[in-house]
This record gives sequence, structure tokens and C-alpha cells, in this order.
Amino acid sequence: MDEKVRQRGPGEPAIQFALLDDMLNLARANSLWPMTFGLACCAIEMMAAGAARFDLDRIGAGVFRPSPRQSDVMIVAGTISRKMAPAVQMLWDQMPNPKWCIAMGNCAISGGPFEYEGQYAIVPGAHLIIPVDIVIPGCPPRPEALIQGLLALEDKITRGEDRNLLRRFRRVRKEGSQ
Amino acid sequence: MKADEMEKALREEFPGALFAVDESGRNGVRYSVLIALSGMRKAAQILNAAGFFLETITALDFSDTFELVYHFNCYEPKSRIALRALCGKDQTPSSLVDTFRGAGWLEREVHDFFGISFSGNPDMRSLLLPEDADYHPLLKSFGKSGDSHKREDIYGK
Amino acid sequence: MENEQFGPPAAEQIYTLNLGPQHPSTHGVLRILLDLDGEFIVKADPIIGYGHRGHEKMGENRLYRQFLPNTSRMDYLSGMLYNHGFVLAVEKLAGIDVPERARYIRVIASELNRISSHLLWFGTYLLDLGGFTPFLYAFDDREQILDILDRVSGSRLTYAYCRFGGVTRDVDAGFVDMTRAFLKRMEGRWADYENLVTKNIIFIKRTKDIGVIDRELARQYGVTGPNLRACGVRFDVRKAEPYEIYDRFDFEVPVCFNGDALDRYKVRFLEMLQSCRIIDQALDHLPQGPFQTEKIPLKIKPPKGEVYFPFESARGLTAYYLVSDGGTNPYRCHIRVPSFGNLNVINDVLPDTLIADAISILGSMDVIIPEIDR
Repeated sequence: MDEKVRQRGPGEPAIQFALLDDMLNLARANSLWPMTFGLACCAIEMMAAGAARFDLDRIGAGVFRPSPRQSDVMIVAGTISRKMAPAVQMLWDQMPNPKWCIAMGNCAISGGPFEYEGQYAIVPGAHLIIPVDIVIPGCPPRPEALIQGLLALEDKITRGEDRNLLRRFRRVRKEGSQ
Repeated sequence: MKADEMEKALREEFPGALFAVDESGRNGVRYSVLIALSGMRKAAQILNAAGFFLETITALDFSDTFELVYHFNCYEPKSRIALRALCGKDQTPSSLVDTFRGAGWLEREVHDFFGISFSGNPDMRSLLLPEDADYHPLLKSFGKSGDSHKREDIYGK
Repeated sequence: MENEQFGPPAAEQIYTLNLGPQHPSTHGVLRILLDLDGEFIVKADPIIGYGHRGHEKMGENRLYRQFLPNTSRMDYLSGMLYNHGFVLAVEKLAGIDVPERARYIRVIASELNRISSHLLWFGTYLLDLGGFTPFLYAFDDREQILDILDRVSGSRLTYAYCRFGGVTRDVDAGFVDMTRAFLKRMEGRWADYENLVTKNIIFIKRTKDIGVIDRELARQYGVTGPNLRACGVRFDVRKAEPYEIYDRFDFEVPVCFNGDALDRYKVRFLEMLQSCRIIDQALDHLPQGPFQTEKIPLKIKPPKGEVYFPFESARGLTAYYLVSDGGTNPYRCHIRVPSFGNLNVINDVLPDTLIADAISILGSMDVIIPEIDR
């Protein structure tokens, strides 16, 4: 119990109803509303993923919302500069729970090509300012990769996992579930 | 051509200036003119009156001095003019913002990167760096720096 | 009537609106402080730097070859053009020869990239103005270009295809066929766009006489590229200082004369047609032969000196200013970016316009923030 409470994010209820939660999680997973929020190059691939050929609507994640208050997935798409970091943090705080974060691209994962000795301009990794659920490597990741990342996030939400655990980046089924 | 006219005008105005002429445009600049820092405003006014626009301002950090480089161009082929001026580490060049309105931001950028303040620029807030930044990243002494040279090592005497 | 609780009446009040840095219409991370009097903008103060990544410092710290991938991440929409420019600048500085075939391949790739950049602008600008459908159409067309570039360079967006002395890999017959098929496809699409968008009365009302820049204002701020050509100045680096092999192609520099948002749209639209012409000619004359110069050292050591290399990116006059101290990395690496002046000019354009038009003006400028911030 203690372990569970500690891993629980702020704002999540202490008492959980198993079946109802499962149903809610299923609903959440299949209607992700990402925030329209681009920082650099990866934002273009995010737009491409939402546009004609790749069409995020197929997996229920195509409703991009320009306001943090209406969205539940933040896709950190691009380099977080030091000047931008407080704004990113504020946007994350403005999003209502439950919320998830995808670090898209090497810059958002670890600073990518802009991390070097004596580097002064960027925050090397979104995890340093906000909790990250899924990381999608690439510079920039292809839209297919973003779709895979969103599918991995959907799996994670469906299973009701506590967030922010390090996990392998692939679709896995829990043993015993269909 | 406007660039040739400007060369004459600048030679008249600044008899002591060093001219580097490059007709072929190998380095992209037709006339490169080294003038005194105090003459920069006057030179910019001459170019402004002739219809040139300011492409960019940048600085070079040498171990003995800064060098400010202003690139001007007009809408004619191969007529880029570079005005260069040595600027001591503690000198304050005067702003061109009343001649070229676009100079304001360029000077703020130079201020961000090198810590050179321009007198007469009404708005010297930092442009690219955070508001509270107290460092000037393009100085050779900042970060993991490369070799710092004297100016004559690269450009000769 | 003075109301203590709500302060003075609204007519006397200047309201400051913070637009950005996260806003769908600012194309990235631009922030603008707008002082509003009712619906009218009194003063606009763009605050930039939210995408500052320190490219210029990296240029000084890295080898010429190591800095090459950075160039396409500055302006990620026209990465190939930036790549191309940097490679040309270093080749000029170090005196490296390039085979003919590589020159043609570079020009084809660059012009394809220019079209894809303008197409993306076309889609997002109309998205800003409230039309969602053109966005999907434009992205569909853009994907065709990305397929072609992906095939030769292995990357969809941030290329490092042009290398010192050539390109990374040769193009094959498939590339030529795909490019020809793309040109054929676009012939029909241009007519569609013309009919659906350019003649659309709602679009014209949102853009005509909005955000007028005159020649003098453009000169004062150093505006270049399509934004300048929309004010009637026929200035294109590809014509004024032909680099690479642009002097061999027969193309025109389209200009319009009103300097409003509609003209900026028209200029970009016509430019895409001209790029198609260039590609068509380059494909016709694509020579056989090597695509790389042999024996380019890993650590290039250009002689002491400097180069200022201007080229025309999708947004205007871009230039690399490289100073070499004879070492393996540049002593100073400065990049003149077109969006800098193109954004700076809104200081003078936005005042006295409606706030709804501000979005239209901003979109019509086609600025890329990480390019300005570097």
C-alpha cells in the first residue's frame, strides 16, 4: 500500500475501483488529446503525423488542442531552451490530471545534438523539468515512430500502470490478458 | 554601380580607411572597409542615403580587441560592402538604430553574445538569452573555448 | 461612469495581451506582447530567444564536418538549402572542387526542398486563417517530396545530404522518375490551389491590404526573400549573385507590388512554379560522372581568411560568415538569417491593425523561430 501511494501521482484518488478504473483507462487511452505545442523540428513531424498520410485520428489521438486545459498528452517536440523551460513547466502544470508526457526526439530526451561540454542554451532532457512517460528517439523521429509511441502510451494507460516507470519501448501484453 | 559610387564617397569621407577590393566576389564582399569606430555612424548614413540595407552585424572576439563587422547590401548584383571597425574591450560603439531601424535587434544580439553595449540604442534588453543571463557565450573565454588569437594572426598587420 | 471595482472605462485602458510562447499561430515559440486598445494593436513587442540553441558557439567548437548536421536544424523547413549553403561556403573557403553531376543533384534537391517549405507554409497559413482542408492537401503533396528526398538522403526533414565535394550518395533512375512524376502531379494541383484558395473570396478578404510593407520599410529592416519581392523589389540571390549553377537555368523572379499579405502569398505561389521549372531543366541536363570529389580529408583545414557566402533560402537572403584561423574548426561562425529581419519588421507593421489580422500578418511572413534564435 505504501509503495502504491508513493508511486501515485498527485491528484489521483487513493481509493480505486478496479473495474470502473479499467473502463475509464480504456476510454482515456483511446481518446488522447495532445496539445498543439511545438518547440522545433520535431513539431513538423508531429504535424505530418496528424496530416493526410499518417492520420493520428486512426488511433484516437488526432484531436490537437491549442489549450493545455483541454489536453491530456503533452508531446514535447523539440529542444527545450533554458528560456523556454519555465514556460514548458507552466504548461504542464496547467494541464488537468490525468496527464501524460511524451518526449519526442533526441533533444527532448537528452539534449540530442545540442548537448556538449560547455553548452549553455538548452535543458538536456524534458525529464529534468517534467515527468516523462514515453520517449521516442530520432532526430526527428519519423511520424511512424510517433504513432508507435502513442500506441505504447495507450497500452500503458489501458493497463493502468503508475506513470513514470522506466519501461521498454515496445508494445507488450500483460500476461493473462488477451 | 552603386557600390563603386559608395567606394568613392567613403574614400573621400575617410581618407585613412583601409580598403580591400574584391571584384571577383570570392569572399562574397566587394569592398571591405576598415574605418575608425567613431566614423561608423557617418559611414552608415552615407550608405543609407544611397539605398543600401543592413544585412547583419556581428563581432569577432580577438584576444586583444573586438572587431565589429557590418555587412551592407543593395538590390544590385555583387555590391556588398563590409564596414569593419576595431572596438576595444571597454569601448562603447554608437548605435545605428536611428539610421537603420533593423539595427536595434542586431545590436541587441551582439550585446547578448559579446557583451558590447551600444550607446544610443534605447532598448538594450537581452534578445536571445534569458532576461537574467549574465554571461556572453560567444566570448572565447566562455565555456570550452577554442584558441584565442590576436587579430594580426588571422588578418595580418 | 467611473467604477471603483473595475477601474476606468475601457476606452482609456490599454490592455496588454501576451501572445505565446505557446500559441498555435506563432509557428513555434515566438512570444509577442501586444498592447491593445480595444481590438486595435497599439504596440507590438516580439520577444524571441525561446528556441536559442547556441548554433554559433557550436560552430566554433566543432569541426566543419561536425557542424554540417546542425545547419539543417536551424531552419528545419529548408534544411537542404541551409546544408547546401554551408557546404558551398566551406568549399569556397577551402578551395574544394565539385563534380558537375553533384552540382545538378544539389540544385534539384534544394529546389525540391524549397517547394516543400513553401507548401508547408501554404498549409499552415491557411490553417491560421481558419481553413483546415488546404493543410491536408499541402501535406499530401509535401509527402511526395519527402519521399523523394528520403530516398536519396535517408532523412525526411533534417538532411545532411550535401557534403564537401559532392553529395553523400548518387541518385538513380528511380529518383528521376519520381521527381518527374511529382512535377506532373503538381501541374494539376497548382490549378486546384488557384481555384480553391487564390480566388476564394474569404481568403482575399482576410489578406488583401493587410500588413502592407512598403519598399522603404523593407529596406530599413533588411527584409529579404518573398516578403521583399512582394513589395516590388526584384531581388533574388540566385539571380543577383548566382551561386552553384543557378546562372545556367532559365527562370524568373516573380514580384508583386502591393506588399500586403495576399501578395506575399502570390509570390510564394509563383516561386513554387519557378522551382518546378528549374528542376525540370536540371533533370534534362543531369550529366553522368562522379558525384563526389575523391580524397576530402576528414578534418578540413581551410587557409586563414574569411568568407561571407550568401544564398537564397526559402525565406530570403541567408549567409554564412566563416572566419578561419587555419585550424580544423572555424574561428567564428555567424549566420545571417532572413527571418530575423522579416520578423523584426512587424514592430512597425502590427500597430494600428486588428488583432485578428495580426495572426494573418504573422503567418504571411513565414518566419521560423529556431532560425532566428539559432
